[in-house]
Amino acid sequence: MAAQQKASSASQTPHLSPAELSYLYTSLSLPQNPIRPDGRSPTQFRPLTAEPDILPGTNGSARIGFADGTQAVVGVKAEVEKTVLSADTLDASNLSQQQGDFAAQEGRDGREGAGSAAVAGHGSWVQVSIEIPGFRDDDALPVFLSEMMRESLVGSVAGGNDSSDEMAGGLKGRLVINKRWHWRLYIDSQGEEDPFFDDDWAVAEHLYPRGTTNSTVKLSSSVPQVRPPITLLVISVGENTIFDPSREEIAVADAVLAISVARDGGDKNLKLLSIRTIDPPSRLTQPAVPNSENVNALGATAPTEDVAVLNPATGEEEVPGVWRPRRGGVKRSVIAQMVKTVLKKGGVGEEVLEGLEGVEVE
Amino acid sequence: MPLDTSTTYPLTRLRLDGRRWNELRLLQAQISTNPASSGSSYLSMGNTAIMCSVHGPAEGRRGEGSGQAGSAGAMVDVEVNIAGFASVDRKRRAGGSGGQSSRIATTLRSAFQSHLHTYLYPHSTISIHVHVLSADGSLLAAAINACTLALVDAGIPMPGLMCGCTAGMSGSASTPRDPRNEELDPLLDLSLPEEQELPSLTVGTTTAVPVGENHMDEEEGEMKVSVLNMDSRLHVTYIETMLAVGMDGCKQIRELLEGVIKSSR
Repeated sequence: MAAQQKASSASQTPHLSPAELSYLYTSLSLPQNPIRPDGRSPTQFRPLTAEPDILPGTNGSARIGFADGTQAVVGVKAEVEKTVLSADTLDASNLSQQQGDFAAQEGRDGREGAGSAAVAGHGSWVQVSIEIPGFRDDDALPVFLSEMMRESLVGSVAGGNDSSDEMAGGLKGRLVINKRWHWRLYIDSQGEEDPFFDDDWAVAEHLYPRGTTNSTVKLSSSVPQVRPPITLLVISVGENTIFDPSREEIAVADAVLAISVARDGGDKNLKLLSIRTIDPPSRLTQPAVPNSENVNALGATAPTEDVAVLNPATGEEEVPGVWRPRRGGVKRSVIAQMVKTVLKKGGVGEEVLEGLEGVEVE
Repeated sequence: MPLDTSTTYPLTRLRLDGRRWNELRLLQAQISTNPASSGSSYLSMGNTAIMCSVHGPAEGRRGEGSGQAGSAGAMVDVEVNIAGFASVDRKRRAGGSGGQSSRIATTLRSAFQSHLHTYLYPHSTISIHVHVLSADGSLLAAAINACTLALVDAGIPMPGLMCGCTAGMSGSASTPRDPRNEELDPLLDLSLPEEQELPSLTVGTTTAVPVGENHMDEEEGEMKVSVLNMDSRLHVTYIETMLAVGMDGCKQIRELLEGVIKSSR
C-alpha cells in the first residue's frame, strides 16, 4: 500500500541515464554561463503566482504555485494556550535557543536579564507540518522540511533598533499574550506535485500578514517593515551557482543548500539565518563506465580518448562525458560564492523579497 | 441561534444557514487548476472546499500491476488528505491518515473503479489525490464531485458524470414514519452542524448508458445509484424519502457540473 502511494509523480526523482546526467552536468557546469534545460539564467526563478487569504476558515492562508504546476496551500491557525512556567520549561527554552538561533543573540541577552521565559516566548509554540502526497507524515523529507522552516521562522528576530518594542523577541515574542497565556501557531502546508521548496515561501509570506491575522496580538499595521524570513534553494554544479533548480537540475547537483535570510530590522541589509545542506540525489545515481574499462568496447577505441581530468570543484578525477555519482563535497569557496550571491546588495535575496512585497495582503 | 435544528426548523421552515429544505449550498468549481497533473479540479460547496488532482493512466510500479488484477484494466488509487486547518479546531492526526479520510478514500476507490472504463487501460494506474482544504459537511459528496471533474479534465472515459449529494431528515427519525402526520421534512445538502445532529445519507448517482433504439427520445437518461453511504441511525421507513431527495439533489448538481465543464472549454 505504501509503495503504491508513491506511484504518483509527486515523489519521483527523474530517472535519467548516466549519459543524460553527464550531458546535463556538463551544460550546467560550463564556466561563466551555464546552460539550463529551460533556458533560464542562473539566478532566474520560475514564474511564480501567489495569493493570500484563500480559506475563510483559517486565521491566515496562502496558495503559491510555479508555472509548471508545483503548488502548495498553507493554512495558519492560532490557538490560545496556557503558559506552563516550570523550571524545566525555562531550561528547555534556554537550551533550544542556544542550539538553534544564533541570530537571536542580541534580543535574548536582554530578555534573560529580565529573567522571564513567559515574556520571551518559546520556540515550540510554533508548530509546522508539511504534507506531501505519497509521503507518510513521519517520513524523513516532510519532517526535515518542516523543522527547517520552523527553525528559521523562530530564529528570525528583528534585532534592529528601529523596530519598536512590539517586535522584540521576534515571532516568539509576538505570541505572548500575558504571563499566563500565549498563542500557539499551527502552520500546515499541503504540498502538491513537487516537494522541492515552494513550501517555505508560502508560509513565510503570510505568517506576518501585516498584523491582521493575529489580530489580538498587539501589533497593528504600524510595523510594516518587519518581514518573515525566506528560504532559497541553491545548488552548485561545478563552479556555478544555480538558483531555484528544477528536479532535473537537482539530480546532478554537487551540493544542495537551503539558505534562509531575513531583512535585518530597519536597514535594508539582509541577514543570514541558517544554511542547511541537503543530501544531493546525485549521490545515488548509477555510474557510467568509461570505454577503456568497458569489456564490450575493448579495442574499439583509442586509449587516448579516455583521459581522466581533475574536476576543479570537487577535486576528483573524472573522464569527461562519463558520469560519476557525486560524493557530496564541494570547495569552501563555492559555498561562499553561493551565500554571497544571496546576500549582496541587489542580489537574489533582495529581489525575491521585493517580489513577495508585491503580493497583495489586505 | 440554538444548534438544535429539530426545535427551530418547524417554526421557521428555514435551516440554520437560511436555506429551505430542498436548497443546495452555493457550488463553485473550476477544472484544470493544476497544469502539472493529468487532470485537476477545485470545488467548493458552501464552506467545504476540495482540491483534486489526477495522475495517469500511467504505468504502475513494477511488481504491483503484474498480477491478474492489473491485466484486466487500470487500477484506481485514491488518496484523501484532510488538511490540519480544514475544520474549526485544528486537528492533529497521530501517525498516518485518520479514520475519516481512509473511509472516504475506500468509498471513492470502489466507486470509481467500477464507474470508469478501466478496461481501456490495462496494466496501468489512475491515481487520484483529494485534498480537503476546508471541511463543512458533505465531505464524501463534495469529494465525488471534485473527482468527477478532475477525471473529466484528465480525459478518462466514463459512461456519465458521477455526482454526489447528501440528504437528511429534520429530526432524529427513530420511530416509524406516520404518513398521516408528517412532522419531519427531508433536508438536502447538509452542512457540518446539521450533519452532526441529524441522520444523513450520501447518495452518488450516474446516468445509465443510453441503449435501445429509442434512447434519443428520452429527455434525460435514467439515474442509477452507485454510491450509498450512511453513518447514522434512522428508521427504515424514512430511507425512501431521503433517497428521492438525494437523487433530486444529484440531478441539480449534475447540471451545475455540466455547466462547469462546458464553460471551461
